[in-house]
Amino acid sequence: MNIQTRKWALSRRGFLRGTGVALALPALESMIVPAMGQSQVKARLTKDGFPIRMGFVYHPNGVIVPNWVPRGNGNNYQMSPTLKTIERHRSEFQVIGGLDHHKAKANGDGGGDHARANATFLTGRQARKTAGADIRIGISVDQVAARFIGRETRLPSLELAGDKSRMAGKCDSGYSCAYQYNVSWKSESVPMPGEANPRLVFERLFGAGARRKPTESERLRKLYQNSILDLVLDDARRLKSKLGSTDQRKLDEYMESVREVEIRIQQAEKFDEFEMPDYKKPSGIPKDFRAHVRLMYDLMTLAFQTDTTRVASFLVAYDGSNRTYPQVGVNNGHHAISHHRGEADKIEKLKRIDYFLVSEFGYFLDKMRSVKEGDGTLLDHSMILYGGGIKDGDRHSHVDLPVLMAGRAGGVLHPGRAVHFGSVPMCNLYVSMLQVIGLPVSRFGDSTGLVRNI
Amino acid sequence: MRAAPRWWVLFLLMGLQPGLHVSHAAGSFERDIKPILSEFCYDCHADGVEKGGVSLDAHATPAAMRQDLQLWEAVLNNVQAHIMPPIEKPQPSLEQRARIIEWVETEVFQIDCTNPDPGRVTIRRLNRFEYNNVIRDLFGITFQPADDFPADDSGYGFDNIGDVLSLSPLLFEKYLRAAEQVMDRTIVSGPSEPDVMEITHDMMHGGNDRDGAKWLTSNGDIISQYDFPGTGTYEITVVAGGDQAGDEPVKMAVSVGGRQIVIHSVKADRKTPREYRVDHHVEEGSQRVAMSFLNDYYEKTGPKKGDRNLMVERLVIKGPIRENNAALPPSHKRVFFRQHSENNRLEVAREIVSHFAFQAFRRPVSKGEIDRLMLIFRLAERKGETFETCVRLALQTILVSPSFLFREELQPEPDNPERVFPIDEFALASRLSFFIWSSMPDRELFGLASRGRLRENLDEQVRRMLRDTRAKAMADGFAEQWLQIRNLDLVTPSEDVFPGFTESLKESMRTETRMFFRHIQRYDLSILDFLGADYTFVNGELARHYDMPGIEGGEFRKVTLRGTPRMGVLTHGSILTITSNPSRTAPVKRGLWVLENLLGTPPPQPPDDIPEFEETAEAAASGTLRERLEKHRDSPVCRSCHARMDPLGFGLENFDAIGRYRLMEGDFLVDSSGKLVSGETFTNSRELSRILAEDKKEEFVRSFVERLLTYALGRGIKHFDRCAVNEIVGKAALGEHRFSDVVVAIAESAPFQLRRGDPFRPDEN
Repeated sequence: MNIQTRKWALSRRGFLRGTGVALALPALESMIVPAMGQSQVKARLTKDGFPIRMGFVYHPNGVIVPNWVPRGNGNNYQMSPTLKTIERHRSEFQVIGGLDHHKAKANGDGGGDHARANATFLTGRQARKTAGADIRIGISVDQVAARFIGRETRLPSLELAGDKSRMAGKCDSGYSCAYQYNVSWKSESVPMPGEANPRLVFERLFGAGARRKPTESERLRKLYQNSILDLVLDDARRLKSKLGSTDQRKLDEYMESVREVEIRIQQAEKFDEFEMPDYKKPSGIPKDFRAHVRLMYDLMTLAFQTDTTRVASFLVAYDGSNRTYPQVGVNNGHHAISHHRGEADKIEKLKRIDYFLVSEFGYFLDKMRSVKEGDGTLLDHSMILYGGGIKDGDRHSHVDLPVLMAGRAGGVLHPGRAVHFGSVPMCNLYVSMLQVIGLPVSRFGDSTGLVRNI
Repeated sequence: MRAAPRWWVLFLLMGLQPGLHVSHAAGSFERDIKPILSEFCYDCHADGVEKGGVSLDAHATPAAMRQDLQLWEAVLNNVQAHIMPPIEKPQPSLEQRARIIEWVETEVFQIDCTNPDPGRVTIRRLNRFEYNNVIRDLFGITFQPADDFPADDSGYGFDNIGDVLSLSPLLFEKYLRAAEQVMDRTIVSGPSEPDVMEITHDMMHGGNDRDGAKWLTSNGDIISQYDFPGTGTYEITVVAGGDQAGDEPVKMAVSVGGRQIVIHSVKADRKTPREYRVDHHVEEGSQRVAMSFLNDYYEKTGPKKGDRNLMVERLVIKGPIRENNAALPPSHKRVFFRQHSENNRLEVAREIVSHFAFQAFRRPVSKGEIDRLMLIFRLAERKGETFETCVRLALQTILVSPSFLFREELQPEPDNPERVFPIDEFALASRLSFFIWSSMPDRELFGLASRGRLRENLDEQVRRMLRDTRAKAMADGFAEQWLQIRNLDLVTPSEDVFPGFTESLKESMRTETRMFFRHIQRYDLSILDFLGADYTFVNGELARHYDMPGIEGGEFRKVTLRGTPRMGVLTHGSILTITSNPSRTAPVKRGLWVLENLLGTPPPQPPDDIPEFEETAEAAASGTLRERLEKHRDSPVCRSCHARMDPLGFGLENFDAIGRYRLMEGDFLVDSSGKLVSGETFTNSRELSRILAEDKKEEFVRSFVERLLTYALGRGIKHFDRCAVNEIVGKAALGEHRFSDVVVAIAESAPFQLRRGDPFRPDEN
């Protein structure tokens, strides 16, 4: 992958500084923002004027804890065996302990820890236990960010997934499959499905080709699209008025999506001309999972690098996934062996899976570091959270979760160390992350405050 | 209260009590029910003893009990699944269990079959499969744009559940794009009359520029270069005039790419230039277009005095133009079913748009709706687009409008849960077509609905639809999810243990099960054949896998299973593979699969923190998997459920993790005998299948009906649906369980025919 240096035009920086983003407060169900009257927020940039990117990567089925947890704290901690594979990035990430997701626990709802781990990870909310009717969880942290800063880029956010096919039949213990296959939630009932096909991701990012002045026929096409959207919004309003309340909610989903796309179309030309990255368009999903995951990481890097979006999530494999990892000699299903009951053979295999997943994350960090931006790298201007909603796959525990935070967010974060917060909600970290990008958010999910000094 | 009530558990109970009808008096609590509870339950759950926080004597009357529906749900769940009383305590008879269940349903939950609650179906978005099929049926093209849509989430085991089908901005983006792509492939509107290029004199070479034109005063050429956008016929028009002199008019040749294509006699004079046109086939690419003056004439004096000159004002190239209507694709003609002329453009467009709006919205369309769709037509017209493009934009609008993407079912008083209405005949046509074809209604259904005659012809129509080839959609949409064979995409048998397992074998397995389903459906056989069929479908590859000699080649054929260990769907390679772990069989998974999908009596969820049983090398040396599993479930907590699951799985232990028959597991002889918790014994898989097909017939039929009804309605089954299920099961039995009888009975059932209002529910958060 030949990554070109992104050239930041002065005018663009000026644009970024000057743009305010309207807060859509009533829609942000799970947040309580102090200054309700405040209508504008500015996405914070790094000191040298670069946007801060936010990424989330999911690790399924827990980890082998002794191999994950580092020894010691601070800068002189001793790297754990699983994390050894990204030792070369030691200065660029921090190992974070002591973050909990209490809403992923049963709390009276019985089985279904995998569905809950997945659904709660970025939302910090308890998934309503239902196989279908009345799905409810909460907006996810990436989507909160996308609502605030998403208007400043061509795509508000990007959702990726490593699993193309989905389980037919029932999902985890009476939970609708929507919970188990989505980490990103646009609202409490609308998931943002991850795209698994690298070709389609590429087309979404760069499908229009190099940005240039639109031709007459493109201008017309836009005009027609806008008119079509106006017409169907009108249809939707008329239809909605004739429906019952549950159906009306579905029409609301429709209308919100139409408006979102409308804004995207209107905004498209606001963005600078950019050069097509020198990257071959992927032709589909590679058979080898490693190759697939790497393509996804490449695309995430490209999306950030070209400032096509600043918010991305990647569900490498969903929680409960029974994928095999022949790449590291594991031909058993991941979920099946994750309940290892202390058996050495299984633990050994799980270690290899953890190592594999983390080392592919290391590949991503390689890519992010290889992109120069100003005096630093793309990773310097990012904060990438890596982790999962289950600590120990054998026990389904949801506290003291395995979490890494890579990047500096432009000098705000303190990578290169291990830090343990004792026991605080994961959502406290999310509040801190949202504040780093400049959002006046004081609560999210089940947060009780923030984590300082990350 | 966060968790939604799990009403469905009530429904599952019915599996245990065939033949009982709720219309019978349920008996009084004091006389019939309390003695049973007292004998078997009160020791732990009454008189101040509240084991597990459950007290059964807290409420004196059914009215009081209704205040705590969750408690009684739990009672039903546990009594049905034989979880309570615990296995080591005295057990009520099946009849006593049934009496408790019936009483709770009629007295506590007050289900009334004479005035059935049809429930309500949340407005359903087309799922990916349906979207592709509808595009096919609307326009007659095979393009499948939905393959690139994000996956549809599923609920209640299916991906056509209204509540679960959400619509993200990404999906809408794809709808917008798909609408364009569909139109690209359906009609020819684009580069057929796209570019009209006008080349003015100042862009040409040669000759002299004078008075706003090019002049040739002696024989010579005026030259222009043009990039022809496609191969095809172009209209090449030269606006020319000249000075006439001598006895013939000005002659002008036009050539393209060096070849002369026409000689025009230019009779116009310099004051009134005219258009000289020729149609010519041109290959795509840049070509030289030349206009040549052929007959210069000049006489200074005398009777023939004169000066003949050629004047070229401009060159207009239009094309490529379609040669004639025959070259247009059938889909184009399907859309433009009526020709338009300049004076009836609007009328024809309106007719086309009305026709497709009706088809796409699957209902009559109001004048106002057509007026709005025509707005985009007019806008495009004002921008100078071709007729085809203007119509195309209106059709694109239809394809992203809510009435196309959602299956709306309008009813009076949509917010009044007390009022029940029959769905209108158009909604009924759509319910039928999406149920059986996963697509829109056809002309016949629309015709009947338009005349209000569909309901009275329901039986006949359902049977007709089942005979139609589109009914194979039930194999893709229903069977693949009911039997979960879609999960073949997800299984990866270990290459070390099963080196012979290939993608092509996987496909063959899937084909076997699909063909088996299609066979029962198409020949309208008994649904009991799913369990007890003595035949299946194999190709050479699968036959080798199954040890059936003498079958070669890739073609599938029907074969008898007599004399083999196989019977029914349960011994299909597909089912046996998806219910296994990558390196070994998983009898518990197989047992669970049977309980969930064939018998409809799933065990309750396992307690938290119970590890899954898994293979290790040391363990394999200690005995068969079965022996080790039996030890594993020694604990009393596990025993009650495993006693129901495990024997079913053990009966299939003669089939390995990819469905091959085996006698030995490692060094040990496989024992596939067993005894079901209900007492039936078997010694091998065929006997097990036969028990399921005969002794468990009622459970199976009921379960099949529940699943097919879920799929047909697009919602989960609720407690009040038990009346409908009883009725469908009853009708199916009258017709010897023929496939079509079940489908007809579902189509006739209250939840399929009726709707009620939706109580307004404020958000609970």
